Amino acid sequence: MALSTIGGNGRTTARVDAEIYRQGRDLKGRGFQYLLLSALFLASLFLITLLIQVLTDGWPVLSERFVDFFTGTLRSRSSDDALGIGQGLAGTFWIAIFVIALSFPIGIAAAVYLEEYASENFITSVIDVAIRNLAGVPSVVYGLLGLALFVATRDGNSTLFAGGVTLAILVLPIVVITAAEAIRAVPSSLREGAYGVGATQWDVIRTQILPYAAPGILTGTLLSLARAIGEAAPLILVGAITDRLAPRGDGLLSLDQIFDRFTAMPIVIVGWVQESGRDQGFGPAAGAAIVVLLVFVILMNSIAVTLRNRFEKKRG
Amino acid sequence: MTRGIRRLLQLLALMMTLSLVAAACGSDSDDTATDDSGLTGDVFISGSSTVAPISTRVAELFEDVEPGVRVDVEGPGTGDGFKKFCSGETDISDASRQIKDAEAEDCAANGIEFTEILVGIDGIAVMSNSNSPIECLTFENLFNLIGPNGEGASTWAAADSSLPDAPLDIFGPGAESGTYDSFIEIVLEDLAEEAGVEATTRTDYNPSAEDNLILQGIQSSDTSLGWVGFAFAESADVKLIEVDGGDGCIAPNADTIASNEYPISRNLYIYVNDGKAAENPALQAYVDFYVADGLDIAVGEVGYVPLADDSKAEVRAAWGS
Repeated sequence: MALSTIGGNGRTTARVDAEIYRQGRDLKGRGFQYLLLSALFLASLFLITLLIQVLTDGWPVLSERFVDFFTGTLRSRSSDDALGIGQGLAGTFWIAIFVIALSFPIGIAAAVYLEEYASENFITSVIDVAIRNLAGVPSVVYGLLGLALFVATRDGNSTLFAGGVTLAILVLPIVVITAAEAIRAVPSSLREGAYGVGATQWDVIRTQILPYAAPGILTGTLLSLARAIGEAAPLILVGAITDRLAPRGDGLLSLDQIFDRFTAMPIVIVGWVQESGRDQGFGPAAGAAIVVLLVFVILMNSIAVTLRNRFEKKRG
Repeated sequence: MTRGIRRLLQLLALMMTLSLVAAACGSDSDDTATDDSGLTGDVFISGSSTVAPISTRVAELFEDVEPGVRVDVEGPGTGDGFKKFCSGETDISDASRQIKDAEAEDCAANGIEFTEILVGIDGIAVMSNSNSPIECLTFENLFNLIGPNGEGASTWAAADSSLPDAPLDIFGPGAESGTYDSFIEIVLEDLAEEAGVEATTRTDYNPSAEDNLILQGIQSSDTSLGWVGFAFAESADVKLIEVDGGDGCIAPNADTIASNEYPISRNLYIYVNDGKAAENPALQAYVDFYVADGLDIAVGEVGYVPLADDSKAEVRAAWGS
């Protein structure tokens, strides 16, 4: 009825209204809109159902023994007071360190080289395509690579080092691609301006390109970190421990554990889900572990989005 | 711009420090425990995921006696376990079946001698509602009812003409469960091969990952049929059906399962690397503890059927502890 003020004549208004709002006008357009809406609805429905189910599953564990659960270990029985995700969190923490220490610098350096130094020839385009394909390779394949490179060569010893490096390699192509895209998005006026006042290439990269591309690079790296800590398949192949990891007595920061057997959050979850067939109490424990992992991943993703938005606003 | 980056780096550093502190606080337990005999060492166990909980439970109990010994357990499967065991990567291999000839040859080729130790039994109970008229089922009956040929049959008679004409509601574990695999392996596999069909279950039963839901299903229908691990069915209000594996109807109970009379059960073993046991006192002590307190306490605690007393005595004598 927004048009009712146009004319004083009620009959004219009604006719105009009918012309605009009448049934059947732009039926296809509206149908398409509803189709899109229902797709969105369906997608969020799945996600919400999953979240609710995991939360209700895990809630008893999280509400009753929140702190114990974070410091506990893998146990044979779900009723054990010492059952918890402490060892899984420690492993995942170290995997994150490996990814930050290896894939971030190497990936960003590779992206800078590809975008700023490499000349556009056949070889670079082959490398470019290869990196894109590597980003799409299933994660189990990286698990096999890790098994052959870091486990089989060390007398079959599955170590945190093997798991961490495997996951670092897994996300490396993603880091390269996102960083390269962020660098490509730097306006050429910035570069040309800097060159114009006599800056060297290194100066341009250091003072113009990297700072400008930083938010994009950061978003990409955080997203790839979130991917790395959620991967289970490569770690299963590399040989993460599923049933028992004896207490080591040394703290989280002890470097000894890098060349020791390990477990990680996704492995703990997989193990408990399997155990729940024998001992049902592992179901809620797995649910609680999933909630913890989800919170970490969502937290990381939202930090990435928030940072990007803040930087973009500043830059704009 | 640079100030923004610096602040960002500070934020990241702060987050990392916080998570370090939080995690470090959580992992400083267990190093104050007193060590009685001062025995230290490392034991690594791989193999069957079915047996892994027993070895894990034994390790947990052993930790109170010998806190200096680290026992790690993983469960990739019996076959994978033997591969690692026979290449000398593990000290003990958990197994839900006996070692195959090919695997034993592998071990021999690498100069690995081993001792087989029977540790417990995994029994599967076939059950129905406590009002059910069914008393005993043969393997053939079970194959007709639950095997792929039973697809679509909604009454007992439709699946197997020797059985009463009553509604058939089947509840069992899903394909992800070890109990599902064992049931197929022990009951269905041979008959499926004879009938020339795939060794699997019919698809139109009610699978559930939770034993409680299977029991609820069994209780909800007077002429239901289902199967779960024996330890779980034993304590529930359902009727345990006798099973005829060729030697007459046998009711499942701890005795018939321990004596292998009840046909749907399988033995659970550990295989110990003799050479490593001789040179690693920690491994020797762990296996000693396994055949002593382990067989008595741990096996039952994690839901399997403990050995009968005379089998335990045999196992202990064979290990020589």
